[in-house]
Amino acid sequence: MSFLDRFQNKQSKNSQGVLNLTCTEDTVKDALRNVIDPDLNRDIVSLGFVTSIEILEGKVSVTIELTTPACPVKELLQKQCKEHIQNIPGIKEAVVTMTAQTRGAGIKPANIQKSLGQVKNLIAVASGKGGVGKSTTAVNLAFSLANSGAKVGLLDADVYGPSLTQMTKVGLPEKSVDGMLVPPVVDNVKIISIAMFNDKSKATILRGPMAAQIIKQFLSQVHWGELDYLIIDYPPGTGDIQLTISQLAPVTAAVIVTTPQEVALVDVRKAISMFDTLKVPILGVIETMSYFICDGCDKQHHLYGYGGGEKISNQFGIPVLANIPIEPKLVECSDKGTPIVISNKNNPAAAAYQKAGGECARHLSLLHLKNKDALTQFSLKWRP
Amino acid sequence: MNPYIGIKHIEQVDSKTLRILWTDDKVSLFDTVELRRLCPCASCVDEWSKRRTLKPENINESVRPVDIESVGQYAVQINYSDQHKTGIYTYKYLRELSLN
Repeated sequence: MSFLDRFQNKQSKNSQGVLNLTCTEDTVKDALRNVIDPDLNRDIVSLGFVTSIEILEGKVSVTIELTTPACPVKELLQKQCKEHIQNIPGIKEAVVTMTAQTRGAGIKPANIQKSLGQVKNLIAVASGKGGVGKSTTAVNLAFSLANSGAKVGLLDADVYGPSLTQMTKVGLPEKSVDGMLVPPVVDNVKIISIAMFNDKSKATILRGPMAAQIIKQFLSQVHWGELDYLIIDYPPGTGDIQLTISQLAPVTAAVIVTTPQEVALVDVRKAISMFDTLKVPILGVIETMSYFICDGCDKQHHLYGYGGGEKISNQFGIPVLANIPIEPKLVECSDKGTPIVISNKNNPAAAAYQKAGGECARHLSLLHLKNKDALTQFSLKWRP
Repeated sequence: MNPYIGIKHIEQVDSKTLRILWTDDKVSLFDTVELRRLCPCASCVDEWSKRRTLKPENINESVRPVDIESVGQYAVQINYSDQHKTGIYTYKYLRELSLN
């Protein structure tokens, strides 16, 4: 019998004697196997989320690494881990640390490698129609993800009607040593907009190729650094700029913004078909101006019709990420340049956007997991 | 259906059978003539009433796919030998059909 065997033997005898069972890493792992990720339907141990386990005299410390810091079930998982560890006999204390390593898509083309090489996910925020609250959505998505601890950038690609400088009160970029622009930062979000280079009161009058050129610079000459998510605020419609961005940059996924009414949906379908043509997966729909709650009662008034996002969702099999209510405060915050998810966290619209951010991150993680062995593109010739 | 189920493998089995292996390892077999009769496009199904305007008996038993292509990350488009190729079969729809 080796020394180790004898030691373990002695220990187990001891533990039987004084009812102090030895807790090993495996005991903790077995306990954590009861914690199931609700989206993936698998336990967090086999998913490889448990990155470290330390046991010290009745105290267990574990680290759980999720696929995104903005995971909507983070607190739930943390609570379950704690409970299951504390149920192990002899354990008095459980410390569960949640970290995240955002999953991202692979290699980027050489011309944008320097600028976007460390950007894990590029998310397009698009709509078929203007005036549906796309920029408001892009801004609040960005800040809600940053609120959850993710590294976020925001690119205003709406060259003809840039509004992000108004909505965030961002400063001007600096020129870095290697000739790249360094984006200014507001509340941990890096922002670049064409409005930073223009006279505010003057219209941007550009031919298509010029506008595309500017977008090209934003994608190749801005030092974005390491980012989990780069949110790109697309111009409305399905034209030149949209094509340029989607062809230049490997857009990971798109979020479609729509109001509930049918007129908006017609154009949403076009936007969806554009992304399909470009092979950009769609994460889901964010429905803005969904309902209005007046100060007289709690009833939801559907000023712009009902269920538009739902309709799109059913038709195309994509989820509704959030329904954003009509909120005077939301308009006020956008005009003042203080995003509602930062300045008025308890407002219903802020809560809805915070949820939207979590849902985006969650669906993106799932997308990466799914795409691991899914065919992204195929063509099958039928033999007669 | 879980919106993240994709296609792992797609292949022709015999002259009219299509086999799809999904990312959750389920396998579906489709009779492609039957799929033609169940075409979800706007000229085969009335968009408003959702009633099928295509009569099954109008589809000849000899009709076959010419090719099958992916549409985005959510559907397949089947180009049929009767010149009909507007049918976009979403994964969701295919999974529903494969239950029956």
